[in-house]
Amino acid sequence: MLLGIDVGGTHTDAVIIDRGGIAATAKVETDHSNLITSLDMVLEKILSSGPDQPISKINLSTTLTTNAIVGKELEEVGVLAVSGPGLATDCFNHNLGEHFHLLEGSIDHRGNLRLALNDVAAREVVAGCQRKQLKVFAVVSKFSPRNPEIEQTLAELVSTQSDFTTIGHRISGRLNFPRRLATAYYNTAVWRRYNAFADAVSLSIKKYKLNAPLNILKADGGTINFKNSRNNPIQTILSGPAASVMGIIALSSITEDAIILDIGGTTTDIAIFANGAPLLEKEGVSFGGRATSVRAIGTHSIGIGGDSAITINSDGKIMIGPQRMGPPMALSGPQPTLIDACNVKRLCNLGNFAKSFSGLKELAEQNQLTTEQLADEALDTALKTIQFEALKLLDTINQRPVYTVEEIVHGKQIIPQQLYVMGGPAVILAPLLGQSFDLATEVPDNYAVANAIGAALTRTTMEIELFADTGKKTLLIPNLGIKRKINSSYSLNKAQDDGVSEIVKYLKENNHPEIKNEDVSVVEAESFNMVDDYSVGSKTIRVSCQIRPGLEKDYLEGIK
Amino acid sequence: MKNTKHLGVIFFPAYDWAISPTHPEREERLLYTQDQLREEGVFDLPNITEYKPEIATYADIERIHFCFPSPQEVSTESHLVAAGGAIKAARLVMEKEVDRAFALVRPPGHHAMKVVHGNRGFCNINNEAILIEFIREHYGNKKIAIVDTDCHHGDGTQDIYWHDPNTLFISLHQDGRTLYPGTGFSEELGGPTARGRTINIPLPPNTSDEGFLYVIDNLVQPIIDDFKPDLIINSAGQDNHYGDPLTNMNFSAQGYARLNEKLNPNIAVLEGGYSIQGALPYVNLGIVLAMAGLDYSQVREPDYNFKNLRQSPQITEYIEKLCTLTMKNYLKPPPLKVKPNQYDTRYKTVYYDTDGINDQQFEQIMVCTNCSGVRHLTSKTHRNSSCMGIEIPIDACKRCRDEGYRLLDEGRRNFKGTTIKFINRLDQEYLTVNEFELTPISRYYF
Repeated sequence: MLLGIDVGGTHTDAVIIDRGGIAATAKVETDHSNLITSLDMVLEKILSSGPDQPISKINLSTTLTTNAIVGKELEEVGVLAVSGPGLATDCFNHNLGEHFHLLEGSIDHRGNLRLALNDVAAREVVAGCQRKQLKVFAVVSKFSPRNPEIEQTLAELVSTQSDFTTIGHRISGRLNFPRRLATAYYNTAVWRRYNAFADAVSLSIKKYKLNAPLNILKADGGTINFKNSRNNPIQTILSGPAASVMGIIALSSITEDAIILDIGGTTTDIAIFANGAPLLEKEGVSFGGRATSVRAIGTHSIGIGGDSAITINSDGKIMIGPQRMGPPMALSGPQPTLIDACNVKRLCNLGNFAKSFSGLKELAEQNQLTTEQLADEALDTALKTIQFEALKLLDTINQRPVYTVEEIVHGKQIIPQQLYVMGGPAVILAPLLGQSFDLATEVPDNYAVANAIGAALTRTTMEIELFADTGKKTLLIPNLGIKRKINSSYSLNKAQDDGVSEIVKYLKENNHPEIKNEDVSVVEAESFNMVDDYSVGSKTIRVSCQIRPGLEKDYLEGIK
Repeated sequence: MKNTKHLGVIFFPAYDWAISPTHPEREERLLYTQDQLREEGVFDLPNITEYKPEIATYADIERIHFCFPSPQEVSTESHLVAAGGAIKAARLVMEKEVDRAFALVRPPGHHAMKVVHGNRGFCNINNEAILIEFIREHYGNKKIAIVDTDCHHGDGTQDIYWHDPNTLFISLHQDGRTLYPGTGFSEELGGPTARGRTINIPLPPNTSDEGFLYVIDNLVQPIIDDFKPDLIINSAGQDNHYGDPLTNMNFSAQGYARLNEKLNPNIAVLEGGYSIQGALPYVNLGIVLAMAGLDYSQVREPDYNFKNLRQSPQITEYIEKLCTLTMKNYLKPPPLKVKPNQYDTRYKTVYYDTDGINDQQFEQIMVCTNCSGVRHLTSKTHRNSSCMGIEIPIDACKRCRDEGYRLLDEGRRNFKGTTIKFINRLDQEYLTVNEFELTPISRYYF
């Protein structure tokens, strides 16, 4: 049996799933001042009601790091950056705390050291950090995925005084210095808080005599094992929305291109699926004012939900949201909302119809409209905005740059065949949305605990970048810390095999014996000749492999 | 960050296209540029957006080129995508989606001439000309200045706009006596209806930042100010770089960025540049930042050494004189001996180095006092025996328009060649007359 827990913004949900389907669910309110209490309460509730069989796996999604970054509850970090020539410093040094230091040194795009780290200056900066009693560090150099030596030297320099250091190339093997920098900074800044939470989670798990493997959810809809999450807390941001998306996959049988709308009280989250799989942000998610290299399911959030207030601006234009003034008037709220308009239109029958009607009537009369007109237009505005934003997102995805003639001319375009709507107002709005999108529409059952179901069923994910240079005879897999010699005949095929087997090997060593070669897909594989003096010399080989977000297949049948 | 502009970058490296595996124009030409731009995170900057190219249509090509026997025969999908990248840049700027656009695309195009039989100087179709005529077709007959900063003379672009008084073509390049294609001398100043609208600035080998920027400040800028174009297009070749393997100049990434900042083009289109590791990553980064109005002062090649790249006083003096002479030529070009309202003719031999084609051309232009004049040419190669092109310009007067149709009619009846291409920019009519339509039998029996 699998246990999934989502410590979300409003509620903490838990679900136990066995091969027959959902065996138990529990919901408590989230106490933001003490997330562990919420976890304990939900465990108490679900374990007392659930079946007796043992739990074989626990997956936990938490808002801890998300909240820490949004609430700026961040530890002071000594940030040591080496950029070399290129972009001006003010393009990348913002939102990195008070202790950003730029050091001299440079590595080029081929990974050649062009200017050694200024050792004397570096030692001075490190000493300065000590005087300021900084205990945690982020060290990042430009082109470290091509050559990690400067970062390694810096990590060594701070090692005696550091409780924890994030090293840029271990965060991501992809090229993007500003993202690596921001991600390394956040990872360090939330490290202590996350680990305190993790300690408390360990105690809770022990208290409830759960000794199944524990995994933590990530923003890409996959998991990371509990122990590894302690050094990679940044991977756990935004895992809640990702869990919901994975839940939708579990609850419906998405195999085609599709649009997913999660309509809540204040917002609607839009996600796009290609061939039944959620699309990830191209380079990583933007968060806390910075673009990061954290892989995440691409969701676009707009300020329209069931409780969005209906207002009319000075030009007489009817607006929905983005504010939520409170619950609908039908439930004694202060201002007419989208749900009140649905009540007036008899699309639903929530709370007190008379209150909905009089609320809309008052606003309509102030603006020389009939109540019916206002309800119609409010609803129409909401539907049109959701549709406009969803199609805009789709267009952005379809217009993504590609780099070969083949992809430009014959590349796949995403053409949605199906619309999935979930969330509180889903049942009410789904038929109307289906009409405006002109798509077959489905509202999955059990969407209220889709997040916890997604959490319970999701599997581990992983991504690596492999970079080989047959001229230098080196192979690098930055985020696994692998650097080794290759011979000059090393080939693209060999690189693909190595990429796959290194992921499997790493995961086997990290509590995932179930992962097999077939679970890993090669996303990109390129080999280019490096021509010197008009003869083909060596090759530069780039391979990117990943385990895509996926669900425990053995348990899916029961859920549906 | 003051004066930032929204820059659209159409980045298309064509990783699956090469002339041959060791040719300078090969798959990984922009690989290291992409590595650099990615690592710098330029596409995450709030005022820089990356776009995907469109795919140009054959109609976009036939609007400007006479392709023999057909555009399908002389271009590949790669060329359509590169030209489509230039078109995307034009569309973004004209629709005001961005302030500036940089088509960082390959294959290049500035050696492609009016007539196209194949590939010459690594080019098949002229990306800038396709872009410009796309703009004129969809957004009105704009006055346009092209500044070609590739190290090789932009002979293709020059040939296309030789007779167009509404297009100013300025080429800065290494002196043709020392480099392919061996043309682009000061006295090449445009045809009889467009005298002074072609400006060539052949620079001596080893010209450095100082020399290039002197030419921009003292010659190019004043000429552009005088011409007052609606749009400035930069043919941004990067082979003036000191590291380029095919040329002998001493220009740097900082110099390219400065040049771009001064020139302030609405659109830039990549041309040549073959120091793919040592120069392109830095030059492209410099141009991108300069076009976006961002600080590029930290952009520098790892091996940059100011002292080694200084130009000699002799070069400085030579360039100063060249600028004075060229300015005179622009303001008062030596007149040609032509008769108004009659045809002026020129013979040309065009060699296609990549494809080994030799083209003999006979071109006539009507020296019209009311418009740019109807253009009529025949072209003969071993590949496509004899071909004819007729072009009625976008600003054609009634006489030249009628003359164009008369030539077409006469060609249909009497031309003994394989193909006639007919371009009527005024009425946007484009025709191909094939061999079978030209033979008397076909006219009577089909």
